[in-house]
Amino acid sequence: MSRMHAIRERIVALTMSGWRDRDLEREIAHHLDLETARQIERGYPPDVARMKALGNFGDPRRVADQTRDQRGRQIMEGGMQDLRWAIRSLRKNLGFTLLALVTLTLGVGATTAAYSVLDTVLLRPLPYRDADRLVLIREKTDKHNLLAPSYPNFIDWRDRARAFDGVASAMFPYFGTVWPATNSPEPVRVSSMGVSKHFFATLGVAPVVGREFTDAENALGGPSVAMVSYEFWQSQMGGRQPLGTILRGDKPTVVVGVLPPGFHFVNAADIYWPHEQAPGTVRSGHNYLVIGKLKPTASLTVARSDMTALSRDLFATWGNDTQAVDADVTPLRDYLVSNFRVLLSVVLGAAVMVLLIACVNLLSAQLARGWAREREIAVRAALGASRGRLARQLCLESLVLVTVGSAMGLLLAFGLIATIKSVGTGLIPRINELSIDARVLGFVVAATLLTTVVVGVYPALRLSRGQNGVLLGGTRVAGSAVRASLWRALVGFEVALAVVLIIGSALFVQTLHNILTSDSGVDTHGIVTAAFAPDSGDLRDLDRLHDGLATIPGVTGVAFSTRLPFSWGSWSGPLRRRSDPLGHDWPAMAGFRVVTPGYFSVMRQHVIAGREFTANDRDGAIKIAIITKGAAEKLWPGENAVGKTIATNFLFTQWLTVVGVVAEATSWTMPRGEQNEIFVPVAQQPNSVNEQLIAVVRTSGDPRSILPAVRSRIRAVVPTAAADIGTLDERVARSAADRRFAMLALTAFGAIALLLAGVGIYGVVWYIVTTRTREIGIRMALGATAAGVQRQMLTSALAMALGGVIVGVAGAIFATRFVQSSLYGISRLDPWAYVMGASLAIVVALLGAFVPARRSSRVDPLIALRSDG
Amino acid sequence: MGKDPGELLPGTFDLLLLKALSLGAMHGWGVAERIERLSNGACAVQQGAVYPALQRLLTRGYIVAEWRMSDNHRNARFYRLTASGRKQLDSEQEWWRRASAGVDRVLRAAAQEG
Repeated sequence: MSRMHAIRERIVALTMSGWRDRDLEREIAHHLDLETARQIERGYPPDVARMKALGNFGDPRRVADQTRDQRGRQIMEGGMQDLRWAIRSLRKNLGFTLLALVTLTLGVGATTAAYSVLDTVLLRPLPYRDADRLVLIREKTDKHNLLAPSYPNFIDWRDRARAFDGVASAMFPYFGTVWPATNSPEPVRVSSMGVSKHFFATLGVAPVVGREFTDAENALGGPSVAMVSYEFWQSQMGGRQPLGTILRGDKPTVVVGVLPPGFHFVNAADIYWPHEQAPGTVRSGHNYLVIGKLKPTASLTVARSDMTALSRDLFATWGNDTQAVDADVTPLRDYLVSNFRVLLSVVLGAAVMVLLIACVNLLSAQLARGWAREREIAVRAALGASRGRLARQLCLESLVLVTVGSAMGLLLAFGLIATIKSVGTGLIPRINELSIDARVLGFVVAATLLTTVVVGVYPALRLSRGQNGVLLGGTRVAGSAVRASLWRALVGFEVALAVVLIIGSALFVQTLHNILTSDSGVDTHGIVTAAFAPDSGDLRDLDRLHDGLATIPGVTGVAFSTRLPFSWGSWSGPLRRRSDPLGHDWPAMAGFRVVTPGYFSVMRQHVIAGREFTANDRDGAIKIAIITKGAAEKLWPGENAVGKTIATNFLFTQWLTVVGVVAEATSWTMPRGEQNEIFVPVAQQPNSVNEQLIAVVRTSGDPRSILPAVRSRIRAVVPTAAADIGTLDERVARSAADRRFAMLALTAFGAIALLLAGVGIYGVVWYIVTTRTREIGIRMALGATAAGVQRQMLTSALAMALGGVIVGVAGAIFATRFVQSSLYGISRLDPWAYVMGASLAIVVALLGAFVPARRSSRVDPLIALRSDG
Repeated sequence: MGKDPGELLPGTFDLLLLKALSLGAMHGWGVAERIERLSNGACAVQQGAVYPALQRLLTRGYIVAEWRMSDNHRNARFYRLTASGRKQLDSEQEWWRRASAGVDRVLRAAAQEG
């Protein structure tokens, strides 16, 4: 009872000192009032009575100070002393302390950051209402390929599907030019996304300012209206209200609403416009993203069978006009993160391994320290320290360690998260929502705390098992063998984990190398690309632009294209021979690209047969096209495609004469042979240039050095163009950014793991050397050489490392199955990666063992024999 | 050299406080007043000194404190002896009796010999 009160008193004093101080003041004031009253009773006038009361009391401030001191001293009695002892003891064992701190920092920091990323991207619900009911619906071909749906199919789905509360669609965003106000001096480059009726309602997103599109605005030929992102409204429109009018191209467009901050769907867009004003007409086109919201009662299975039945029905009606024999229904979240699930799991797996290694290191370090301290602790117990006090001191020591280590780990996690945000923006979905997850941090700290404290207090607990005598007695060679083998097993486990990570890292380093050096069929080095939105359809300036760019010093060639190299996206449709009747199962799909003369020589894309476009291919002449080799072989196997005629659904009514066959420009992102393309000359198809143009500029010098010149030359001819300029090599590298991310993570974690394993090996060998000083002394006295003793220590470390390597290699053979699909140009069982992982681990093991092993060979037999081991 | 009438033997102040509180819960002023009155002014201490001493007893768990209405209808902090405080008082009284008896005997012996 009184003990409880005493404890409560201490807690109150510690936690509520401010409140306590006011209490004390009130108490003293009350005291002085009572004393004054007594003095007045004795006949003194009030002011004299007050003076007397003060005189009897003494200086109130000093009394308050002394009372407070009394409080503080009681609380700190013992506690403060133990804390000082703990810190002194940690400083005395600087090696151990640093090891533990480094381990804690890396373990807490890396794991917290990695799990926070995973939680943000994969586990947190999407920022839409009822997000778990949102699905993406795609067309499924007879070859089980998934395609973006066409507008007519979307309309039929919307009207006839029964499993959904709403079906809506968006178009893939594209870049355009906008003046944020009718009198803006400068245009800005924006990303525009077309949306259907009920698109925002289906996502459960309401505008924060203004309204959504009305039915009239969503109808064919409706007025020119737009909604804007909150960010665009703030940064470009100055957050103005009323929202007013912007210019899209030269079209005045009324802004009717502003979306909530951070809203994005698949990609962030600045401008949203009602695409049903200009509906697609081709049932075999593939330009839309279709979402549906499941009815609360409908399961995914029900929705799938509903869509399958509907697709069969539609296919029966439309036959080969549509390519959709079936439909695929995927939860929206799975679609959005599918590409990153594997890579993020890799990162998390690596982080968990590092945390495991960290805990093992802490465990073994604390164990070793505990063993080394058993005597010290037994002595202190014999001198009268209570078991509780000893346990408290050891506990405090661990607490100090974990507190400092976790704080440093938290700092590291903040740094890592900032880095991941800057590297991952635009690459990893939802990365802008990334923040440290408090629960994760809590869990990681708890795990390390448990390891440290439980093991740290262990020597004090042993005392209770009546081993005082044994511990005081001295020699403990027998026990150390068991302990060393336990520790050895733990360190071997660390080595195994490190080997897995290093092998993974090696596989991704090679993957990245393969991607960056892969033969793409074009020469990407020395190319600058500049994407800009031309004035609507006016292409007369292209010649002037060409001349402006061509006169930049070092430039050897200039051409224009409607698409970036290696970019296909939604612009893909079937090719048709004259012999193919309408509705036939079309033999080849191809991306559609409008280019200027000289495009192939600038890109160094090999012309296999026929010729490339020239300045003579003008409007009025016969309409022509160039196709890639893959398409030619599919359409006219064994024949020469040059001279044949062909149609594409992008130029539906035109028959084009093939004048050339070129090699494919392949990107590593698609298997070879899957990106057929059809090229047509800009001069003959000016109406096909509707969104943006890409200037492709080849220079003999460093492409980076001409970037400003390219920008200014484009601005000189098309002052309204806000161009996106960069080198092609950088674009290719960016397309591999997710692999780079995995590689960096695995390499960083692998290096950390290797470092920690090395430290672990250092520790175990050091322990063996210290506990066996006597044995070593005897052996040296009996004639063993220093080199021999050293060799024995190194051999023992090597055995430990080899055990770990074998387990690690087996682990890697198993674990790399999960990253197989992310590798490029290298087998997951690539022998060199495994050899490298194994040999690195062995080298690090030997390095870690070397320092303590050298110490063992310097043992002086005489001193060793006299010591008690 | 005359001695301050309020000066106490070391360790006796806690004893006096515990004894005073054993007669009933009381606030700080009441405790000081009680000791002064019961000792006929012989143990009149600087009144402020009771507060650090009471705080010491609080943290040792010999007494507890609570806010209560006092006789003059003001809220005052009352101190009350706990069971372990009562035990402490017993052992301190025992110690005091032995110590003071010893001192007494010495003083008397000195008078005989002198």
